[in-house]
Amino acid sequence: MPKSLHYGPEEIRAQSTIHFEDIPVNAYNKTVQEERANFKDEDLVRIYRDITILREFESMLTSIKTQSVYNGVETTYPGPAHLSVGQEAACVGQAYLMTPNDYQFGSHRSHSEILAKSLSSIQKLSDDELMKIMEGFLGGSTLRAVEKMGKCDSVKELAIRFILYGALSEIFARKTGFHMGMGGSMHAFFLPFGVYPNNAIVGGSAPIAAGAALYKKVNDKSGFVVCNIGDGSLGCGPVWEALNFACMDQFHTLWTEDGKQGGMPILFNIFNNGYGMGGQTKGETMAYDMLARIGAGITPTQMYAERIDGFNPLAVIDAMKRKLEILKKGEGPVLLDTLTYRFCGHSVSDQNAYREKDEIAEWQAVDPIITYRKALVDAGVAADSKFEDILAETRERMTNICRHAADKEFSPYADFKSDPQVVERLMFSNEKVASFGTDTPRVMAKKEDCPRVQQIAGKSRFMFDENGKPFSKMKTYNIRDAIFEPLIDKYYEDSTLVAYGEDVRDWGGAFAVYRGLPDVIPHSRLFNAPISEAAIVGSAVGYAMCGGRAVVELMYADFIGRAGDEIFNQMSKWQAMSAGILKMPIILRVSVGSKYGAQHSQDWTSICAHIPGLKVCFPATPWEAKGLMQSALNGTDPVVFFESQRIYDMGEQFHEGGVPKESYEIEIGDTNLVREGKDVTILTVGAALYRAVKAADELKAKYGMEAEIINLHSLVPLNYEKIIASVKKTGRVVLVSDACQRGSFLNDIAANITELCFDDLDAPCVVVGARNWITPPFEFDEYFFPQPSWIIDAIHTRIVPIPGYVAEHSPSDVELERRSKAGV
Amino acid sequence: MAKAVIMPKAGITVESCIIGKWLKNVGDPVKVGDILFTYETDKASFECESTEEGELLAVFFSDGDEVPCFTNVCAVGAKGEDYSALKPGGAAEAPAVKADEAPKAEEEKKAAAPEATKSADGSLKVSPRARTLAEKAGVDPRYAEATGPDGRIIERDIRRLMETGMPVVEETAAPAAKAEAPAAAAKPESEYEDVRLPGIRKVIAKSMMSSLHGMAQLTHHHSFDATSIQSFRRECKAAGGDVGGITLGDMVLYAVSRTLVNWKDLNANMIGDDTIRYFRHVNLGVAVDTPRGLMVPTIFNADTKSLLEISKEVKQLAEAARSGAISPDLLTGGSFTVSNLGSTGVEMFTPVINPPQTAILGVCGITQRVREENGQIKLYPAMGLSLTYDHRAVDGSPASKFVSELCKNLEKFTLLLAK
Repeated sequence: MPKSLHYGPEEIRAQSTIHFEDIPVNAYNKTVQEERANFKDEDLVRIYRDITILREFESMLTSIKTQSVYNGVETTYPGPAHLSVGQEAACVGQAYLMTPNDYQFGSHRSHSEILAKSLSSIQKLSDDELMKIMEGFLGGSTLRAVEKMGKCDSVKELAIRFILYGALSEIFARKTGFHMGMGGSMHAFFLPFGVYPNNAIVGGSAPIAAGAALYKKVNDKSGFVVCNIGDGSLGCGPVWEALNFACMDQFHTLWTEDGKQGGMPILFNIFNNGYGMGGQTKGETMAYDMLARIGAGITPTQMYAERIDGFNPLAVIDAMKRKLEILKKGEGPVLLDTLTYRFCGHSVSDQNAYREKDEIAEWQAVDPIITYRKALVDAGVAADSKFEDILAETRERMTNICRHAADKEFSPYADFKSDPQVVERLMFSNEKVASFGTDTPRVMAKKEDCPRVQQIAGKSRFMFDENGKPFSKMKTYNIRDAIFEPLIDKYYEDSTLVAYGEDVRDWGGAFAVYRGLPDVIPHSRLFNAPISEAAIVGSAVGYAMCGGRAVVELMYADFIGRAGDEIFNQMSKWQAMSAGILKMPIILRVSVGSKYGAQHSQDWTSICAHIPGLKVCFPATPWEAKGLMQSALNGTDPVVFFESQRIYDMGEQFHEGGVPKESYEIEIGDTNLVREGKDVTILTVGAALYRAVKAADELKAKYGMEAEIINLHSLVPLNYEKIIASVKKTGRVVLVSDACQRGSFLNDIAANITELCFDDLDAPCVVVGARNWITPPFEFDEYFFPQPSWIIDAIHTRIVPIPGYVAEHSPSDVELERRSKAGV
Repeated sequence: MAKAVIMPKAGITVESCIIGKWLKNVGDPVKVGDILFTYETDKASFECESTEEGELLAVFFSDGDEVPCFTNVCAVGAKGEDYSALKPGGAAEAPAVKADEAPKAEEEKKAAAPEATKSADGSLKVSPRARTLAEKAGVDPRYAEATGPDGRIIERDIRRLMETGMPVVEETAAPAAKAEAPAAAAKPESEYEDVRLPGIRKVIAKSMMSSLHGMAQLTHHHSFDATSIQSFRRECKAAGGDVGGITLGDMVLYAVSRTLVNWKDLNANMIGDDTIRYFRHVNLGVAVDTPRGLMVPTIFNADTKSLLEISKEVKQLAEAARSGAISPDLLTGGSFTVSNLGSTGVEMFTPVINPPQTAILGVCGITQRVREENGQIKLYPAMGLSLTYDHRAVDGSPASKFVSELCKNLEKFTLLLAK
C-alpha cells in the first residue's frame, strides 16, 4: 500500500450508498436501411460473405468429423473440433473495425474468430503489405503451397486462401499449418493479422490478453486488445482475476508518468452462447442472470458493460465502435456480453442431451445467414441471387482448400522418423536477446544514484576475510543482492522489462530483494499486483507473447498451485505449440519458505521440472544466483526461478574470489562443483547444500571420508557431465533436497545416474528428501527436512558402512515399505 | 591402567602388516614375551611378543586384518580394566563413554567388516562397480570379504582381494580317506577343503600373475661347458673352510654380477610403461625356496663383492628367509634375479620375471653332452642357462649376447676371477 494514497477512517467509515447505472441490454435497434448511411453496400455484402466463409469452414469440419467426407474430398483427422456454427455473425461484427494492430485472443471455440479477424485484416491491408506478410511467414512456404492451388484473380483472394489453408492444415496437423501442426484446432493464430492465440483452457485467454494490454500500455504501442472468452469461463477464477488485474485503480492513481495514466486498452468480450459445454450458464451454473451485470462488480464504471445481439452483425459493429472510443480515451477496460448461439454440439460427440431440439430450431430460425441476408435483400442492398453466388463461391473455395489440405503429399505431416527432433527443437528457443525494446528504458534516476546500488558497492563479495573470518551479515553481499544486481542492470538495458507481483514495490518484495528499485524504476515497470497468482503469471505470458520481457513473483512457491494453468499449460507450452513463432522470456520467481508451516514451506521444483517446456533453477549461493538470473534475463525461455528464504542473507563461500562485480552468466543446466572429494558424491538442491557441507565436514573430521559436493542449481535443463565424472570417481551418490521424497526430481536424477553409470556404482543412489508429510511447525524442522545426520546415515546404511558410526534416522527396508504402503 | 600392544614396524618401508593368526584369546593370561599373534608383511612373517603383562582384555583386529604399524592391536591389563581409550580410531572422540563400550565395540566391528560374504538370504550381492572391477582384474568376487551394507561386496572389498590375491582351492581328501570316514561322506563338503592362502602365498600369486599379465616375456636357452667351474669347485672344496662352501651356484652369481655391468638394460627396473631405471650397481635377487613359499632376498652391490663374500651372504640370506626372520627391506630393491633349480635336475625352464625387474636368469642342471673336438666326438658337462627378459625393455640380440658373454666368463672362470 503506497503512502501516497490515504486510507483514513473519516472517509472510509462515512455513510453513503453504492450507485449503479442501468446496464443496456440489446439496445441496438437500427434497420439496414438506416445503416446504409454508415456502410457502403459492398461492405454490407462482404460482411455476409465473411459469415458464409466462417460457416462453410465449420460445416466442412462437421462433415469431415461425422462422415469423413466433404464435397467429395474424403478425409478425416483425429483431433478436436469445437465448432462455432451459429456464432459467425458475432465474430465478423467484432472484427469489422479491428485493424491488424489490434490484438485478438480466443478460446477453444475460435475458428470463426481467427478467420473473421483475418478476413478483416486482409480487407484493410494493401496488396503489397499482404504479399510481404505472406512471403515473410515461415519463409514463404505456406504461400508457395497456396499459389499451387490454381488460378487466383487477386492478392486478397490469395490471402483468403492463405489464411484458410494455414488454419485448416494446422487443424489437420500438417507441417504446412500455421504452426507446423503443433498447435492444432485450439491453438491456431496468425500474428501478422493481429490474431493472437486462442486457448484450449476455458478462460485461459483472460489473463493472457490482460498481459497483452499491459504490453501495449507500458510500451506505448497503439491498438487495443480483445479478449474473447465464453460465458462458461465466468466460472473460472483466473478470469475474474484478469478482469480485476486489468482494471486496477493504480493505472489511474499511481501510474502518473507521462502518457501512462489511464485504463488498460482491453475489451473483454464474452461470446455468450448460453452453455459452458453442457452446463447452462443462465439458470443453472451461474448466478448473474444476465452476464453484462458482472462489469458492475468490477469497477465503478461497470466496465461500460452491455448486452448486445450477436446474431446481428451490425449491432456488434455498433457496440464495438462505441467501446473502442472509451478505450481510446483511456477509460477501459470495457466488457461486452455478446449473445450468440451454438447450433452444433460442444464437440462432435455431443448428443445435445441438455437442450431440446425445438430450442435449437428456434435459434436456427433466426440464423443470421438467413435473417441478415433477408434484411439486405429487403433493404435493396443486393439481389438475392448475389448471395447464392457468394455461397457457391465460398463452397468452391473451401472445397479446393480442403482437397489440398487433406492431400498428404501436398500437405505433409512432420516426419518424426527422418527428423526425430522435430518437437525437441521447439521446446526451448535458447536465444540470447539483451533487449526486446528499442526505446530508451524509462527510469526515474541514474542507476548509480540508487541507494541500494551504493550500499551493495560497499559490501564484501566473499563471505570471509583473508583470515577466514566471516564478515558481518550487513556487510556481506548476499543472495538478495545477487538477484537484485542483474535485474536492475536489465532495467537499464531492456525498455520492455517489467517486474510485478505481490508487494514487490513499496515493500520491496516480501523478502526485500527489490528493496531500492522503487527509487529509480517508475510504477509502470515495477508494480504491486493484486493477490492473483493466475493473473500475475497469465499476464506475463501475454506480455511475453507480444514481445516483452517480464519478471513476475509469486512470493511463496506454495502459491504455484494458484497459478497452475498459467505455469503448466501456458507459460510452458506456447513456444512449442507455436512452432517457435512465440518467445516466452518470463522469469517466474518463487521462494521456498521456512517457519511458516505446511502451506508456506514447500520445495516444488519437482512439480515444475516435471512439466515440459519450463526451465527450472534453484540457486543456493550468491555466485549462482547472479549468474543464473543474468542468464535467465538474457534468455528467451520461461524460467521458474526458485529461491530459499533460509539463505537469502547467505554470502558466497565457495566461488574463488567471491561474486564478480561485472555481469556474467551461468548456463542454465550447468552444475556447481563446490567441493572436491573422492569417497562419495553428494548432489544437492537448494538450501540443503549447506546441510550437505556440514555432513561432509563431519565425514572428513571424524571418519576420514572425503565427500564431493555438486550443487544442482539447475534442474531443467541438466547437464550430467560433472555428475557422471564424479560418480565414475566415487561410485557412491547421495542426493539431497528439501522436496518431499516421494516424486522428488532427485529420484529422476538418481534413475538417470543408475542408467548412465550402472557399472560404476558401488551402491544404489540414495535420495534423502523431506518426509512425505505436511511441513510441521518450525520447532520440528529437524524431523521433517533432511539434516546432516540423515545424509551420513544414508551413506552408512545404504552405501558404505562407516566404522564407528551409529545411524539413527535411516529407515530400514521394512520401514520404507511400510511408509510406502501407508502413503506417508 | 590397561596397556596396548602395538603393531611393530617390520622394516623401514613397511607401512602396515596383516595379522596372520591370533595365538592368544581374549581373557587369556599374558606374560611379557608371550607370543600374541603372528603377522606378515608382503614379504615375510613374524611373531609379535607381548610387551605387557596381565590379561588379554581385547583384540581390536582379527586374523587377516591389515593393521597400520604402531597401531594398537590389543589391550592387556588387569581383569575388568577399562581399555576404551586404547581402541584405535574414534576413541578420542568419546573418551567419556565407558559402561556400554564393550557391546558398542562389537557393533562397530560388525559395521566395519561384516563377516559373511553372502547376505542374510544367502545370495551373493556384488555392487555393479565391484563386479566390473573384479571382471577387469580377473578376480572372483566370491572370494572377497563383503563389507558393504547387508553383506554386499563393494569396490573396496575387490581392491582388498586384488591386493591379497585369489585363494587356491586344493583337493585334499583322497577317496580312500573318504571310505575310512563314512560319517564324513554324508557331508558332500568334506570332499574338499577350502584353505585361505597365507599372506605370502597371496603375494607370490599376485606378483607372478601380474608379471605374466604385464610384460612381454620370452626366454632364451643357452648352455656352457661347466668343466672350468666344476674344476674350480673341486679346488675350493679341497681348500675347506669358508671357501669350501663356495658352490657352483655362487660362481654363477659371481659371474652374473661381473657380466651384468656391461648390460645395463638387463640390470634395470621397468617403471610403468615408459620409464626404465638403470642401476649403477648390481643388486642381485636370489630366489630361495622357503616353507612359506618362494622368497627373493637381495645381495646389494654384488658387483663390488668377492666370490667368497657373495657365497657367505647368500647362505645368510637363505637361512634368514627360511626362518622367516629376514628383514623386509632385504626382500626388495633387486635389479636382476637368479633362480637356481640346477640341483633338482631341471634341464631348462622359463623363469618368471620378478617385477619390476627386466630379466631373470634360470640356472639349470648339468648334463653330459657331446661335441666335435679335433675330428673326435667328446663328452663334456653342459650347464643350462635360461634367460627370461622383458621384450619391452630389451631386444633379443643384446639378451643373447649377454648370455653368450656370461657363458664365456663361466667357461673361463678363473680368468674372470683374475679380472
